[in-house]
Amino acid sequence: MASLSLKGIQKIYPNGFHAVQDFNLEIEDKEFIIFVGPSGCGKSTTLRMIAGLEDISGGTFSIDGKVMNDVEPKDRDIAMVFQNYALYPHMTVYDNMAFGLKLRKVPKDEIDKKVREAARILDLEKLLDRKPKALSGGQRQRVAMGRAIVRNPKVFLMDEPLSNLDAKLRVQMRIEISKLHENLGATIIYVTHDQTEAMTLGTRIVVMKDGIVQQVDTPQNLYHAPCNLFVAGFIGSPQMNFLDAVVNVAGNDVTLKIGDNVIPVPADKAKALIDGNYNGKTVVMGIRPEDVHSSEDYAANDGDAVISSTIKVYELLGAEVFLYFDVNGTQMTSRVGSRTPLRTGDTAEFTLDMSKIHLFDKETELTITH
Amino acid sequence: MEHTTELKSALNELRRLTGITMETAPDTPEELERTVTQIRYLCTAYKEKYNKHHFLKSLMTDTISSMEIADRAQRLHIEQEERRVLLLLEIKGTLEDTIIEILKHLFPSQTKSYLIPITDNSLAILKPLRDTENESEISYLAHTIVATLNTEALTSVQIAYSRVINHLAELAEAYRETSLALSVGKLFYSEQTVFPHNRLGIGQLIYRLPVSVCEHFLAEIFGSDIPDSIEEETAATINRFLQNNLNIAETARQLHMHRNTLIYRLEQMEKRTGLDLRKFEDAMIFKIASMIMNYLQTERIS
Repeated sequence: MASLSLKGIQKIYPNGFHAVQDFNLEIEDKEFIIFVGPSGCGKSTTLRMIAGLEDISGGTFSIDGKVMNDVEPKDRDIAMVFQNYALYPHMTVYDNMAFGLKLRKVPKDEIDKKVREAARILDLEKLLDRKPKALSGGQRQRVAMGRAIVRNPKVFLMDEPLSNLDAKLRVQMRIEISKLHENLGATIIYVTHDQTEAMTLGTRIVVMKDGIVQQVDTPQNLYHAPCNLFVAGFIGSPQMNFLDAVVNVAGNDVTLKIGDNVIPVPADKAKALIDGNYNGKTVVMGIRPEDVHSSEDYAANDGDAVISSTIKVYELLGAEVFLYFDVNGTQMTSRVGSRTPLRTGDTAEFTLDMSKIHLFDKETELTITH
Repeated sequence: MEHTTELKSALNELRRLTGITMETAPDTPEELERTVTQIRYLCTAYKEKYNKHHFLKSLMTDTISSMEIADRAQRLHIEQEERRVLLLLEIKGTLEDTIIEILKHLFPSQTKSYLIPITDNSLAILKPLRDTENESEISYLAHTIVATLNTEALTSVQIAYSRVINHLAELAEAYRETSLALSVGKLFYSEQTVFPHNRLGIGQLIYRLPVSVCEHFLAEIFGSDIPDSIEEETAATINRFLQNNLNIAETARQLHMHRNTLIYRLEQMEKRTGLDLRKFEDAMIFKIASMIMNYLQTERIS
């Protein structure tokens, strides 16, 4: 397989549109890298530059140390799976997978070996004689992946391959892709706008916005230590709660004023606010829904950071419940167990786990502490 | 003796193709040879005229009378009245056999779709549509073709598509539409791969303007010293500012520059052009001017 290096990669289209800026990334052999971000953030463009389908406007891209900027796509030893895949309607599953190799004049017995091996990996062996119309959505997607696997490439590039599948099938295929990565030991670059897909599949995730890389990290680090407000809001569902808070420093004690609530800040986080001269300034406090507790037991142990509010929406998801309420005009979410007695219209006291809060500079949106 | 056999074979071919039975008795071997050659030319011309692809290409690019359309369509077993869409593909590089093969298998002949090579890097697809197929399905189809050629042929492709047509006689107009969409799309929306005929925006207006009018417009902004293009760093800064809806704080944050640096750059541009890009109207004029500059530069290169 292969390691990839992207140094200072830029994409400026002839019409002046700056799609990707200064993209830097080293990808190790057998890594599963995810490019994630909202629509138009440059993730697909970067993938297409790696594939050779888009010219690179600046920077250097190499595979295994060999510069690839001007190498034709077919000579880069890559294979792609896209969202809008099309199977050849009149061909069987076998022929669909074999077709690309036939076009490249690969010997028949080699084609047969590769197709049967891909079918085994993808659990398509019993479907090899079927035509696409006799397949389910998930099976068709697996055939599309089979067409990439038979090429035996150094790198797999996948651009939202599961977007056309329904939610249930997407979960199933996510597991399949994860297994595929294990079985093939391949380097995979996977583009998605779905942060759940990103978190569950990737060994490392590249979060992008407006053509700029925001953070490259493991799923755990992105969730627990986001580098800025955007990453904090993008990763996690329901998303992190954000509240504007005014910092007040009195000696070594620091409090945050949120509306009428004054909440003490734990010593380790207070230090960052003192060192950064945030006294009197407004910062953004972020807290994940699971760190906003509604139980009285929790409040009894850690009762300093309690906010009272009326529940606007009660959303039962089976094992857990999302409670939506307003604090100082901002909507907040609490993720609690399904046995909670709270319902819409109830006034409740919510305790914030201040050891889990994130603080962001309001102007630069960068993380002050987490 | 050999030439007589050739003559018989040529006459048989002519009868098979056209239904015309001819008799001829050349006096000399030279005359015989000339006759055979002429009959062969006749057959080739007839084949061309009644070749489906040749016919459809002629329909797109030439003027053919409605009588002739009806006659040739009937001979070639092409339905005249059918709901169809025309897709025009342009490949980066040349139209290799691999690409044609992939498209042939994507649109097998039994679907009554026609693949019509136009130039060495472009090809048209005339595809019948079901009554239920609408614009969004056509767009999906176009994206699917792009993705399939990307993944299977590992080649870049851009596609424009026409409105839905109901009669072969509308094919010429559909071709004009898609050609325009492809040209405008490549010039003004180069980050996209699919260009619908009816979403060409302001690019279409600029494309239709005479070069002299474009140059006059630029002269109003830049004076007599019209630059070929805006310096890269300035252009990147301004484009980002426009993409961020004239939001200084957001643009400065994204470009990792102090807001005063951004304001200084915008003021420099105002000194040069008189346009204060922080105002919507001036920003709009600048955006149009930059589109025109890109257009003129591409025109000069081509």
